[in-house]
Amino acid sequence: MSVDTPPDRPGSAAATAAPARRGLTRRQALAAAAATGVTVGAVRLLGGSMQNLAHSRTASGTDWVSPLGSETARVMHLLRRATFGYTPAQLDAALSAGFSKTVDALIESKPSEPPTLAEATTPGGRFAIGKLQQWWFDHILTTTTPFAERMTLFWHGHFTSDYRKAADDTFMYWQNLTWRRMALTNLRSMLMQVTVDPAMLRYLDLATSTGQNPNENYSRELMELFTMGAGNYSEEDVRQAAKALAGWQLPQPDSYATVVVDAAKNVTRKLPVYATQKSGALNQKRAYKGTVSFLGYSGSLDTQGVIDRILAQPATASFLAVKVAQHFVTPQPERAYVNRLADTFRRSKYDMKTLMRAILTSPEFTAGASYRALLKSPTEFMVHASNALNATGLSKIAVAAAPGMGQSLFDPPDVNGWPNNASWISSNTVVERVNFVTAALGHIKGALPSAKDVVHQHLDGVLGPQTANLLNQATDDRSRWFITLASPEFQLK
Amino acid sequence: MSQPISTATPNRARAHIGINQLKRRDFLRAGLVFGAGAAGLAAGYAAVPDAFARAVYAAKQGGVANDNVLVMIQLAGGNDGLRTVVPLNDPTLHDLRPKLSGPMVSQALPLTADFGLNHNLGGIKGLWDKGKVAIVQGVGYDNPTFSHFESIRIWETGDPTRRQVDGWLGRTLATAYDSNGHPLTGCACGTTDVPGALRDLQATLTVIQNQKAFGFTGGTDVEAAVGALYKGTPGIYGALFDTAIATANDTIATLRTSSASYQPMADYTDNVKLVYSSKNQLAAALQLAAELIVTGTGVKLLHVTLGGFDTHYTELNRHDDLMGYLDSAVSAFYQDLAAHGKADKVLIATWSEFGRRPKENASGGTDHGAAAPLLLIGDPVKGGLYGSSPSLTGLDATGNLKYAVDFRSVYQEILGGHLGADSGEILGSKFDRVPFLQAAAAPV
Repeated sequence: MSVDTPPDRPGSAAATAAPARRGLTRRQALAAAAATGVTVGAVRLLGGSMQNLAHSRTASGTDWVSPLGSETARVMHLLRRATFGYTPAQLDAALSAGFSKTVDALIESKPSEPPTLAEATTPGGRFAIGKLQQWWFDHILTTTTPFAERMTLFWHGHFTSDYRKAADDTFMYWQNLTWRRMALTNLRSMLMQVTVDPAMLRYLDLATSTGQNPNENYSRELMELFTMGAGNYSEEDVRQAAKALAGWQLPQPDSYATVVVDAAKNVTRKLPVYATQKSGALNQKRAYKGTVSFLGYSGSLDTQGVIDRILAQPATASFLAVKVAQHFVTPQPERAYVNRLADTFRRSKYDMKTLMRAILTSPEFTAGASYRALLKSPTEFMVHASNALNATGLSKIAVAAAPGMGQSLFDPPDVNGWPNNASWISSNTVVERVNFVTAALGHIKGALPSAKDVVHQHLDGVLGPQTANLLNQATDDRSRWFITLASPEFQLK
Repeated sequence: MSQPISTATPNRARAHIGINQLKRRDFLRAGLVFGAGAAGLAAGYAAVPDAFARAVYAAKQGGVANDNVLVMIQLAGGNDGLRTVVPLNDPTLHDLRPKLSGPMVSQALPLTADFGLNHNLGGIKGLWDKGKVAIVQGVGYDNPTFSHFESIRIWETGDPTRRQVDGWLGRTLATAYDSNGHPLTGCACGTTDVPGALRDLQATLTVIQNQKAFGFTGGTDVEAAVGALYKGTPGIYGALFDTAIATANDTIATLRTSSASYQPMADYTDNVKLVYSSKNQLAAALQLAAELIVTGTGVKLLHVTLGGFDTHYTELNRHDDLMGYLDSAVSAFYQDLAAHGKADKVLIATWSEFGRRPKENASGGTDHGAAAPLLLIGDPVKGGLYGSSPSLTGLDATGNLKYAVDFRSVYQEILGGHLGADSGEILGSKFDRVPFLQAAAAPV
């Protein structure tokens, strides 16, 4: 299949491509798709015709033609959203398994652990954050369980912390390990792990809060950003929970090391050293001794009690259902959909595997309306590009390129994590996305993988007229890869 | 369930992507001015509408014809007003802040018998002495929220009822200026995303994180190819993508010229002492702002941010350091503008989502508060104290300072008095005057 098809041919042919049968290889599936006429230029005019367009205010413009009627396209859609795109080998495997079995495999695979980060024993966790960022990128690029990484990234943006205030990169490393291990478990135990996570204890100040004079920071964000959403609790609830949550402190270090922090002035400091990962410890002397009134409950309350009161609120399941749906399905989930997901989540007693399975197998996930309705985050975009190029040596370039696109790992803009979808687009970020493509292609010396099938492998054969035009004019693989990876189509998922 | 979920269904949204022929009321009817992104959802906040689109409209009638410029500096996280403009003679302060109050009072730079500036605001104090700093005290709004994201939204949209989704500066761009084809009319410097204050469905604006790095590394061939690639892009993000690339290409061309003709006439530095390293390079962002202003790019509304003000913990050094950073960057900016003969055109204004709790917490910090002072700096201001300082003994039920001046009174003065825009149209109402400007550009 070449890209010499007339680019402006409006076709809904993509939607009619024969569903790939299970057991088909990628090559067979793509060949089958090609044979049935999947074509570039597959955009559809809304409103029927150009004449209508000129006069209609409500039905103008063009939209992508969803190819999700085909199993092949559904599998690619799934891998784009639930993982970080795919290498040719990963796509082969998923196409052979089919959509359902791929969902099973994604959800049921035990997250593979990243390699140990040697720097983690640096006294005080004082090592360059770039080491940690590159370590995670490398793991995302090479892992055998990319869904676990996708969920870890999701939780990193949700239960967020930044390395600047955590002020100990070892703590940030531990947080990443914890978030991965808990990513597909149960919200009740997750919230306890989040509360006592050392980086979080620092980031939202719970480590320095006391029952006598509580710090409200963690209490507020636990309810506003992590579980219930603003408007579902009172200011008094924030204050009462702040009391009940107080008393947690950072773990005791295994030893201390004296380190020169300023050689010129000969300044030394005693910095903590941890031999193994630890979580926070409750100091009863700093905890609140009295009773509280929190979300309709009055009496004595510990941290588990606070979490259980929050889980008893109907708002919690709904809040998380909306957020997950916006990250995996559609920027504007309908109320009925959210209610359905939230009910499922609540009935499962907050089991994340149940929620994610409900999301990925819902009709909404593969509905035509959700095709290319989400924007890849910078991390997803860069890893997708690396995977498409079958390149694993791009993590250093990715770390350097990330800030200009608005997503430095371990350094979210604020306690609300990263915004999503349309918020990723500005005049600055689009330029930086293109610059990453230039840098990535420049990094690969010698021959690139063939770009012959790239339109089908990575863009579903559904192209806007300009992308199709430029690909038609391209005379070499480097240009074809550039146009593909820099295209608006490739930014979407 | 009580989460605000948009009533616009995906299908409806997708039927309305032809931004270019649409008018604002069509967006409203189509449900495209809407509910929340995930980030915003947490706060019930419409982050960016997913069909957020470019302005392709003709200039509004009666647009602004002066060449005044506004620079808003966001002190993100909730700036502690009591440590910015310090009450010098209030014995209650020590009771509320036994750990935090001592040095802040003894070292403050006296403005009047009763108030002093944070001791690290020496440069701004120098401008105060020349009558170029107006301080509006006790700024806030009714029934304040203590959520960062809700309060940021309120300040960004200028709407405490949380109905408005466009930013107050975005609405100014859309109603008073022709940003179509002039994307530098509104510009966010030193960031990667569009600040909420500048968002509007009908406004085009530029975002430049780092002027030196802004541009296509692949050169003009790439620039041309990408320009061709992003035209008529289908889908709900199509117009947004195309506008972003078109804006970037315009901006790159403009910066090529402006960078060649601009020499900074002040010492900008981001190499400052801070407790936690800064996400924002405030000095570099203000230097870029100066470049855009002095080289005549047509920039009108600029927005920069300095974060780190959420001082729940060890506030003493953290806040003082941030004040010092703000002071050195703003002082350099003013000096640069003055040296280029532009100081009379530029109003600098700070804003923050809230002040902080008068009573300190166990962590040597302060929790989220309410009313706080704003600083207005530049030749256009009539120096002095405005509003009134909230009482430390008459706190509200949440233990916070009561406000004296609605923040929209300050916006109104900026819009009408400095920019010469129709503040009533932009803010939707009239507010009490706070006459902190030398001369009004238009009736306020």
